[in-house]
Amino acid sequence: MKDLLKLQLRVLGALMLRETRATFGTSQLGYLWAIATPALGVAVFVVVFGAAGRRPPFGASLALFFATGMLTLEFYKKLSTALMTTFNANKALLTYPAIKESDTLFARALLISSTYLVIMFLFYGTLILLGMASLPFHPEQFALAFASVCLLGMAVGTFNAVMLSVWESWLHIESIFSRPLIIISGVFYIPSNLPPVAVDILKWNPVLHLIEWIRMGYYSNYNSTVLDKGYLVSFSLLMLLIGLIGERLTRKQRAGL
Amino acid sequence: MIELIDVSKSYSLKGVRKDLFSRLSFRFEQGRNIGVMGPNGAGKSTLLRLLSGAELPDRGQIRRNVRVSWPLGFAGGFNGSMTGLENVRFVSRIYGQNTEYVINYVEDFSELGKSMRLPIKTYSSGMKARLAFGLSMAIDFDCYLIDEITAVGDANFRRKSKTALEQKLDHSRIIMVSHSQETIKSYCDCGLLLTHEGLTYHDDVESLLSAYKASCA
Repeated sequence: MKDLLKLQLRVLGALMLRETRATFGTSQLGYLWAIATPALGVAVFVVVFGAAGRRPPFGASLALFFATGMLTLEFYKKLSTALMTTFNANKALLTYPAIKESDTLFARALLISSTYLVIMFLFYGTLILLGMASLPFHPEQFALAFASVCLLGMAVGTFNAVMLSVWESWLHIESIFSRPLIIISGVFYIPSNLPPVAVDILKWNPVLHLIEWIRMGYYSNYNSTVLDKGYLVSFSLLMLLIGLIGERLTRKQRAGL
Repeated sequence: MIELIDVSKSYSLKGVRKDLFSRLSFRFEQGRNIGVMGPNGAGKSTLLRLLSGAELPDRGQIRRNVRVSWPLGFAGGFNGSMTGLENVRFVSRIYGQNTEYVINYVEDFSELGKSMRLPIKTYSSGMKARLAFGLSMAIDFDCYLIDEITAVGDANFRRKSKTALEQKLDHSRIIMVSHSQETIKSYCDCGLLLTHEGLTYHDDVESLLSAYKASCA
């Protein structure tokens, strides 16, 4: 049992180092870009909306409000789409008996999550230094919310990977599903202030709950009436279960191709 | 010792189903070097993949109580866009080896020189085989699964692999797939004939070779 755990850690470690190299290239510049792109994306939005005279929907800082929405969404999207192509990218690895396809999924998810940990640390840190934000008010809630982004992203990513491996069109169908997320997830507004009829529809979207939870953790008094942690976690676990069962059932099909 | 218990394996590709093994039970004794022969498509490579654990059987069990290598074949599990060095480092990490030692061994064995720092996709198949073989020899296994790999390369490389493999045979055993009677004769002391009809065990090489010839005729 102890040996198995050691082997698992060794495999994950080796895969993460390999993924780092494959994702960011050989230069440090690659890693810098990976960190800068999401942060600059938020910055552009803040500048554009700021110039248009938009007032922050909540709190005093437009940058903080958008960051809690956009960085969370970007993190989720990165996980759910990058995991999708894992199986194709790592076919050669299956020569080594110690490596299973689920390991390649875990390794990639770990790498993305740690990268986003750095991104958020730097972005929120910069806002704090510039006096545009304070430290998160409920750090334990913020940490739990971060973990639930990992969980949902991992679950949907695994599901996507399995779907793509049995059906190539899934690449396009997935993008149809994920494109409206920026509008329906509360990135630019406060879901609790919407008319009840809109909330009744939007609350099915798990990503909305991620962003609400992150904001509950960051702000002192962001009282979301929409957030349902139970729904979010059960949805994530169910997707993960379906994804992992699917992985097991379709493994043979992938090996044969 | 590796044991197959009631193992079945089939493939279905584009609606064509192919049964490779059905309810196969066999014990690979630790003391023997086993040659595996048979026509193309009989499932020799699949057998090695099953023995290594890279692939699971449809049903039945495969038990191993020794360190078994991955199936050493031509292509190996190399990532084409990474350099030879990076690939070697990766494999040595998975197997928990001393990375420096493995790199030195492989550099020395494969004689790839500066090419070790180039992406694998720039390698010829001979270079890849040298790297793959060197890498597997750098790691100590109780049982090496070898899929035709000794048949590649120039005379010098073949001599070198032969020496390396013979040294390994002091402590380790091999299960080897080959079409070459010479190779089987020089490494193995018993064998399996795998045909579309099934699997037969031969306790000495002579009987394996004559059965193989008869099956080809």
